[in-house]
Amino acid sequence: MKGTHLGEFQEVALLTILVLGDDAYGVSIKKEINKNIKRSISRGALHTALTRLEEKGFLKSRQGEANEERGGRPKRYYEVTNKGKEALHEAREMRDNLWDRIPSIRLELQYA
Amino acid sequence: MNKHNRPPLLFQHFLSWFCHEDYFEELQGDLEEKFYERVKSKGISKARWAYRKEVVKLFRPSVFKKIQFRYSNNTNMFKNYTLVAYRNLLRNKLFSTINIIGLAISMAVGLLAITFVSEIRSYDKFHEKADRIYRVFNNRTVVGKEPQAYASTSLLTGIKLKEEATSFDIIVPIYNGFNGNVKKDQNLFKLKGQFVGEDFFKLFSFPLLYGNPETALQEPNTTVLTEEFAMKIFSRKDVVGEVLEWGPYQFTITGVMQQPPGTSHIKFDAVASLKTYEIREDRSRLFNDWSVMWTSYVYVHLNTNASLEQAQADLDRLAEKENAKTEFQQINPGLEALTDIFPGDGKYNQIDTVMPKKNIDQIVILALIVLFSACFNYANLSVARSMKRAKEVGIRKVVGAKKASLFVQFISESIFVSLLALFIAFLLFKLIKPEFISLNLYTERTTTLNLTATNYLYFILFAVLIGVVSGVIPALLMTKLKTVNVLKGISGTRSHKGLNIRKVMIGLQFAFSMTFAILVILIQKQYHQALNFDLGYNTEDVVNITLSGKDTKLLQAEIAKVPGVKTISTSYFVNSTGVLNSDWAKIEENSDSVTIYNNWVNTDYLDNMGHQLLAGVNFDKDGPSDQMIVNEKLIEKYDLKSATEAVGKRVYFYDKYWTIVGVVKDFHYGTVYNELNPFAYLYDTSKEMYYMNVKIETSDILKTMAGMERAWKTVNPKNKFEAEYYSDSIKRMYTDLSSSMKTFGMLAIVAISISVLGLLGMAVFTAESRIKELTIRKVLGANVLNLLTLLSKSFLVIFIIAVVISIPISLQLFKSQIASNIEYQIQIGFWELSSGALLVLIIAFFTIGSQSIKAAKTNPAESLRND
Repeated sequence: MKGTHLGEFQEVALLTILVLGDDAYGVSIKKEINKNIKRSISRGALHTALTRLEEKGFLKSRQGEANEERGGRPKRYYEVTNKGKEALHEAREMRDNLWDRIPSIRLELQYA
Repeated sequence: MNKHNRPPLLFQHFLSWFCHEDYFEELQGDLEEKFYERVKSKGISKARWAYRKEVVKLFRPSVFKKIQFRYSNNTNMFKNYTLVAYRNLLRNKLFSTINIIGLAISMAVGLLAITFVSEIRSYDKFHEKADRIYRVFNNRTVVGKEPQAYASTSLLTGIKLKEEATSFDIIVPIYNGFNGNVKKDQNLFKLKGQFVGEDFFKLFSFPLLYGNPETALQEPNTTVLTEEFAMKIFSRKDVVGEVLEWGPYQFTITGVMQQPPGTSHIKFDAVASLKTYEIREDRSRLFNDWSVMWTSYVYVHLNTNASLEQAQADLDRLAEKENAKTEFQQINPGLEALTDIFPGDGKYNQIDTVMPKKNIDQIVILALIVLFSACFNYANLSVARSMKRAKEVGIRKVVGAKKASLFVQFISESIFVSLLALFIAFLLFKLIKPEFISLNLYTERTTTLNLTATNYLYFILFAVLIGVVSGVIPALLMTKLKTVNVLKGISGTRSHKGLNIRKVMIGLQFAFSMTFAILVILIQKQYHQALNFDLGYNTEDVVNITLSGKDTKLLQAEIAKVPGVKTISTSYFVNSTGVLNSDWAKIEENSDSVTIYNNWVNTDYLDNMGHQLLAGVNFDKDGPSDQMIVNEKLIEKYDLKSATEAVGKRVYFYDKYWTIVGVVKDFHYGTVYNELNPFAYLYDTSKEMYYMNVKIETSDILKTMAGMERAWKTVNPKNKFEAEYYSDSIKRMYTDLSSSMKTFGMLAIVAISISVLGLLGMAVFTAESRIKELTIRKVLGANVLNLLTLLSKSFLVIFIIAVVISIPISLQLFKSQIASNIEYQIQIGFWELSSGALLVLIIAFFTIGSQSIKAAKTNPAESLRND
């Protein structure tokens, strides 16, 4: 299932975009990810991931307004497509499924 | 906002350089936003650093411009280019043929030059120690004369260096004299070889198949044969221990070496130990005298820790000591690297034929001229044709072809054509190879033009290079075409500026062609004159038989019996074939010495050869062996009043007195290179005769020749019958004339065909680009002749300039290079000079004419219906 598989970082990116809603563009996505997963990611890595997701059809983007702060460059806003949402659900279901099948006793932390 | 409030400019540029266009705006925007945020929070300099860092971190493949993305249909594109190139070749068969043949002809010359130069450059490179082997050469200065460089040096130099010098660890003296015949079981084998020092095989890389290289040449009377020579004599190779006779000496074979490569400047069938000579006392001067340096050579190997300067110092010390012994000459030895020997810089006394560097330069220059013309032609024709292809270019551009890809297309097309031409060139190369080798003495003796793998690689690289060179101009022109203009039908190729350069080039090409053509005609005339020169005696129907010594009388009697043989005489050598003999002579009453050229003949000679006696009588058969018959020049030289006065005079010549018994009319005993001087026929029964001159009168020459050969066999069963027509011997004398005739003939053909092809292209180009003008003129009433003049007018000027340039140049070349030492030059008149030029002109006008008539004859509707 190569086409629909989501990498961990890709999943995080998709979820972050959903969290941000209408305000999901390069700078804000990076900021949000850094805040939530407490890990410094590089702009390049994020960009690569977004490009891949767009190629797979999980994301779509549109050109936004330009503003002075960005040296006159337009923002590119990202939006999760239905296909992307499906993939997220799928990933979650798979995970939930696994969670459900684990007897709770095994999940207890053991300090022996 | 000042400069320092902005992100670093250099890194912005860097980003825009590597970043994919699709992402650039977004990423650049993100970076700037972050940058200004940081400026507020952390200050300008930190923000700038962070910006730099982020740009560098963005330098990753996923962000790069996708080069392979833009050309993703590469293979398809190239397939399409090849297909289009192929279709284009087929569509215009005339042009394709012209292009390919023109390129092929010149490339054949190029291939020759490549093979030739790479062979010459590979000379002596096969020796493993080649980089430290040097040859001692002598600069000899006779008092009062210019110093001259000799490749040879005395054997004493080698001996002294061995004793005194410290810079060399191997010294090999060579004496060039192991020549003549070797005998094995009564069979004679012609031999060419050298006497060499015992370390010969240590210094040079001539591996032995049999025998020990260390000891093979240590003993006197030992010899090492080459593989081929051993096969020739014994029909096998392991012949160590066999004995060969060489004159009075017996040589034991101590080794057989692997056939040496043809690229050795020392060539031999066998080498013998120099010890053989050392133990012979009568040759002692050869080893003891510093000035006996004519046929001996010394090769040395430089110590690893010795420099060339040290070695030269060793030689200088030696020279100082030895030169002190004589007064009239100074000999200063020097060192030249083994790999510099061939091609040579013109030293005298080379061990074998050495190709002068000059020869190579000439060949390379001529090849370059020819190649350049051909490339230019290709370019010219392609440009002429480009009008037809402009639409294709336009469509390609509209569909999205970039300039670069169009450029690649046209370059690859011309490479395609030049690779096709390479095939034909290769066939042509095979065809002219033997002609080239027999071109002159040097190429005949030193080159084989055998192809190696590297040569093939060079050939292909060469073809590609030619493709690029010839394709670059049309490719640039085509890519520059403006899409809109092309599609609208406005031709962008009619640039009148470029036309001038083209005209100059055409003019140059024609000047070359005419020069070569005129030269060929002049040389041909000179050659013809040399062959049919009125020698002043009769050589017609005379066959010269080379005599082998004894029993001449018996042989003469036998040959006289052969039907068809008319008269027979004998002579010491054959006149007018380049052989000259002379000595100082004095007439009794006159104290001045004069050089008299001479030949020894028997009593029948003068009648046989049709000499005209002006005074006196022929030789008396029973008279004394001091009779002399002289020519008119001798009478003149001695200021004698008349021929009759000379008869009876006594001349001191060749250490004895001769009596003049007769005077013959002047005749050309030499060649066209020699002026006439005093000459004398001598009658001396003790002199051995080497030639029999047989005058033949027969209708069946083959039968007479066969009869003579039979007669020869009855007298001389062992030796070969060698007979040659007098006229053939004379012809052989002028091979250098005939070889330059061949060279220039070949060049003339190449140059003329290339320039005519170029002209054809030009004519088509002109006719096509003016087709509308021509048809309108035609509609208005111009006839074919009017149009022809109109089109040829511009070429006429070019031709006149070419003629004006080529005539003086070819005349000068002929006088200074070819006929400079010819005493009897041809008369050069109007026709000699103009016929070559005219020939080229006629061909040229036919070319233009054919195109003009074609253009003029097209139906006006054809070219005007679209307007």
